[in-house]
Amino acid sequence: MVDVGTTLEMVQASQAGMSAVGAGLAVGLTGVGTGIAEMGIGAAAVGATAENRDMFGLALLFTVIPETIVIFGLVVALLLLF
Amino acid sequence: MLRPERMRRLLIAAPQGEIETIVSELYRHNVYHIEDFVPESTSSDSLSIGHPLSWASDAASALIKVRAIESAAGIDPENVETRAKLPASKVRAMIQTDLPAIQKEAEGLIASRSRLETQQKEHEQRAKELEPFTVVPLDLELYRGYTRFTVFAGHIAHDADIDVPHEKYFSDKPAVNMIVVVVQSEDREPVERTLLDAGFQAVPIPDETGSPAELRNDHLAKADQIGTEITAANTRLAEFRERHTDFLVACDELLTADVERAEAPLRFATTEETFITEGWVPEDRADRIQEALERVTNGRIYIEELEVDDDTAVPVEYENPSFARPSQVLMDVYARPRYSELDPTLLLAIVFPIFFGMILGDVGYGTVLLLLSLGLRKVLTGEGGRMLLKVLSIASISSIIFGILYSEFLGFSLPWPALIFSRHLNIGGAASGHGPQVVELMIVAIWIGILHITLGRILGILNARKLYHGNHATKAILSHIGWLAVMWGILLLIWSFFPIPMMPDLTGLPVVAMGFNVSAVTGIVLLIAGVIGIAQENPLEVVELPTIISHVLSYARLVAVGLSSVAIAMVVNYISIGMLIEPQLAAITPLGVIIIIAGILVFLLGHVLNTALGLLGGGLHSIRLHYVEFFTKFYKGGGIKYNPFGMKSKFTEE
Repeated sequence: MVDVGTTLEMVQASQAGMSAVGAGLAVGLTGVGTGIAEMGIGAAAVGATAENRDMFGLALLFTVIPETIVIFGLVVALLLLF
Repeated sequence: MLRPERMRRLLIAAPQGEIETIVSELYRHNVYHIEDFVPESTSSDSLSIGHPLSWASDAASALIKVRAIESAAGIDPENVETRAKLPASKVRAMIQTDLPAIQKEAEGLIASRSRLETQQKEHEQRAKELEPFTVVPLDLELYRGYTRFTVFAGHIAHDADIDVPHEKYFSDKPAVNMIVVVVQSEDREPVERTLLDAGFQAVPIPDETGSPAELRNDHLAKADQIGTEITAANTRLAEFRERHTDFLVACDELLTADVERAEAPLRFATTEETFITEGWVPEDRADRIQEALERVTNGRIYIEELEVDDDTAVPVEYENPSFARPSQVLMDVYARPRYSELDPTLLLAIVFPIFFGMILGDVGYGTVLLLLSLGLRKVLTGEGGRMLLKVLSIASISSIIFGILYSEFLGFSLPWPALIFSRHLNIGGAASGHGPQVVELMIVAIWIGILHITLGRILGILNARKLYHGNHATKAILSHIGWLAVMWGILLLIWSFFPIPMMPDLTGLPVVAMGFNVSAVTGIVLLIAGVIGIAQENPLEVVELPTIISHVLSYARLVAVGLSSVAIAMVVNYISIGMLIEPQLAAITPLGVIIIIAGILVFLLGHVLNTALGLLGGGLHSIRLHYVEFFTKFYKGGGIKYNPFGMKSKFTEE
């Protein structure tokens, strides 16, 4: 299908815009995913730390594990943008 | 280095008569880690737990007294700086002579202060009760003592008209709205209803005589006077603290030592006439303590060196060069190493600051964090806190070095182009040079990941040789080699199909079969061999294969988190300077000055926030890469902390 009204510049601009939207979605959605995952872990971690102070290091470790998801999103976004 | 301090296991047996001498000598040396004696209920021999030494209860009750005084006077031995060490004999004499008097003084001071505080509260309460009545020109005795009249006094929402004979005072002073109505007792009910309709709330009439205003001022003056007395009492208490802190903390230390010594036999095995104890001593000090014990007991002691059979029972003490010692606190957060495994503290001490610097490479933030860590040293006196601050100092120095390399200062560029890879984003259209080299940085991060994980696996092979024996060790080593083979096999496969900048380009190698070239075939062979290597230890481990990719990619956070911090810094600069301050500086107007001040506020707030985020991001992500990606490859942990019997005296000396 050939759209008569589009020029090459318009196609390029819309591609750039789409990749920016994609980058935004990558970071945003993975951020939501990480947040949901950390919600449960974080609550349990705070509970465990309140019971036993020595748990703090391990609790912190467990809490940041899902952060990998958003890092992947950020990596994808950066690759899309640059 | 790279392994915990070597330990020797000693068995000490001696007659009961020598127990006190031996305990004191062990305590003085502060190197002997006692292994608590646990009586076996099934064993037929007559070993039982020992009894505390005779003076245990005296020392314990004196210690309770000292601790009570300390807590009442607000002295915390943890936070007391040593001024001069007191001789132990003098402290012992003073415990007999001076301690009762000091205790009495402390109790007196505390009691008088709390009495004054109660009195002050009472006067303040009275003044508060009198306050509503100060707006009515009546003496307090006029409010009561009537037989035929009823007095209403209280707050009311608005003035009310009363249609029976009455006397009324109303004041609509804001926040008071006081009304006082005196009516004949037979009219009481209708008046009460009228008043309640107007939102009347009765106020109790104070049980005093005279003018309310004068009485109130009187109470306030008294409360003020008592306030100065309380200040005086606090000064006296501070003086008391000043005078006796040194003695009290010395007492605390001495008595704690006494109690610990007196209760040591509870951890020994005893028979009627002898006692036996087992424990651990660092190798380099083992001979010295043996000689010392022989000397003090004149040879009436038997010491035997036992075989170390179970490595989980050995207490673990770090042995690291001084610059790596602060990182031990980060190791303890995860787990202390086991006795026979590698101690990765040194690697952590070197790699952690590099990761931190890579993430937060900024001269400005690095300097702020360095100053913060140096400044907080005065505030944080705890051992762990000090160690963490030292780690932070080293990390922020690394951050400054990387800031110079990246050419970054609070998001601005320094007067030179980036010496390694540029992280300058194009925010606000002010990009200079060739923009951010994100792809290159990412590949560097992946390389770091590959090498770090390979190192982890190699350490895993070394650890397996130390921790396991025979068949188990071989299997574990093969599995580690398998993991390495799979990772490098995947890499060879990728390199043989895609040319990636800064990585070996293997696409041009001669093709062997079906479009696969030499490196691709090698990769496939390595991959299959690796999977077999992993599966021979435990087939279930094969489901973990995707972690090879996710762990390597996880190192991309070194770039991603850093770039996000750069982005925040540049956005803050753009909003505050580019959008708020600069346009106003062109033509200064009164409104413009306010906008400029707002711009400065945005700048400061933004960078404070970003410093906090950078500290959190840089620190947490660097340590997480160690804990999750690195340690899981080789590290077991779970060693017992080496806790020698004895104490480093801080306030007393023998």
